[in-house]
Amino acid sequence: MAQPSGHLIIQNYDRIVLVSIAKDRLLDPPVITAISTELMSLLDRHAKPSIVLDMAQVAYLSSAMVGKIIALYKGVAAAKGRMAIAGVRADLMPLFKITQIDKLIRFYPDAQQVIMEYKRKPL
Amino acid sequence: MTRRQVQTTTKRRAIRTLESKRAAEAEAGHSSGRFRLMMRLGDWQPAGEVLFRRSWPSRLDLKQEIMDELAGLLAARGWVTPEDRSWLVLCLDEAITNAMLHGNEGDPRLEIDVAIACDGRKWQIAISDRGDGFTMASVPDPDDPDSLLLEHGRGIRLMRAWLGSLTYWRRGATVVLSRRCAGVT
Repeated sequence: MAQPSGHLIIQNYDRIVLVSIAKDRLLDPPVITAISTELMSLLDRHAKPSIVLDMAQVAYLSSAMVGKIIALYKGVAAAKGRMAIAGVRADLMPLFKITQIDKLIRFYPDAQQVIMEYKRKPL
Repeated sequence: MTRRQVQTTTKRRAIRTLESKRAAEAEAGHSSGRFRLMMRLGDWQPAGEVLFRRSWPSRLDLKQEIMDELAGLLAARGWVTPEDRSWLVLCLDEAITNAMLHGNEGDPRLEIDVAIACDGRKWQIAISDRGDGFTMASVPDPDDPDSLLLEHGRGIRLMRAWLGSLTYWRRGATVVLSRRCAGVT
C-alpha cells in the first residue's frame, strides 16, 4: 500500500471514497508523483470504486497533474467504477475544458452534491 | 553511436565549453554574460526593451522561486491581472519544466536562460535551454480523439489557450511566451 503523501485527505462514506486535495499548488513533480501514487493505490483497495476528487483547495495545477487525473480515470473505468471532480475554482475550469477532460469526467460544484447523487444511485 | 549517445556527448561538450568560458572570464576579471545570454536565446527578436535577464541551473527545487520572481515582475508592472495569475503560473511552470527536464535533461550543471521584454502593448518571456530542441511531430495532436486518454502532451495546448502567441526558436530550445499587456485594447 502506498504511504500517505500528506497531500490528500481520504474519507469513506459507505462505498464512496471522498479524496480532498489538501494542497493549493499541484506543480512540483515530486508532489504530483506522490499524489498520483496514493490515488492509484485506491484502486487496489476498492473494487468498483466510486471516487469523488475534491479540488476546492487547488489554486494552481500543471498539465502533468491533469495527466495523473486521466490515469486515475482510466483505472477507475477499467475497474468498472465511477469518478467525479468537485469544487474546481472558476478560474481553473477552462483548463479542464480546453483539455476536454470535461468530456470524460463529470464536474460538480461541491463534493456533497456528488456524494448524495452516488448514494442515491449505488453501483 | 546512438542518438542518445550523440546528445550526451554534445551536452558534455557544451558543459566543458561553458566551464572553460567561465574560468576564462573569471581570470580576465569580467563577464560577457549579457552577450552570451542573447546568443543562447537565438534569433528571438525582443518586442521592445529587454527589462530582465537571468540564468538559473536546471534545478526543479528552484522552479517556485523562478516563477515567483517572473510572475511578480509582470504583476508589479500591471501587465497581468490578479485573476490571470494562475494562468501565468501554469504557462511558466510548463515552459520551465520543459526546459529543465526535457531540454536540459534535469542536469543541474546546465542552465536555463530567461529574458523579459515589453513594447508597451505586449510582454514576452523567452526561456532557453541547452538541449537540441524537439519537433512538433513528437507532440500528440490535441484534436486527435485518440489523444484524449493520453497522460501527457497537453502543456503546449494549455499555454496556447491563454497566451497571445507561443513561438519556438533554435529548433525548440528557446520558447517565447507572449501576451497583450493587461488593460491594452
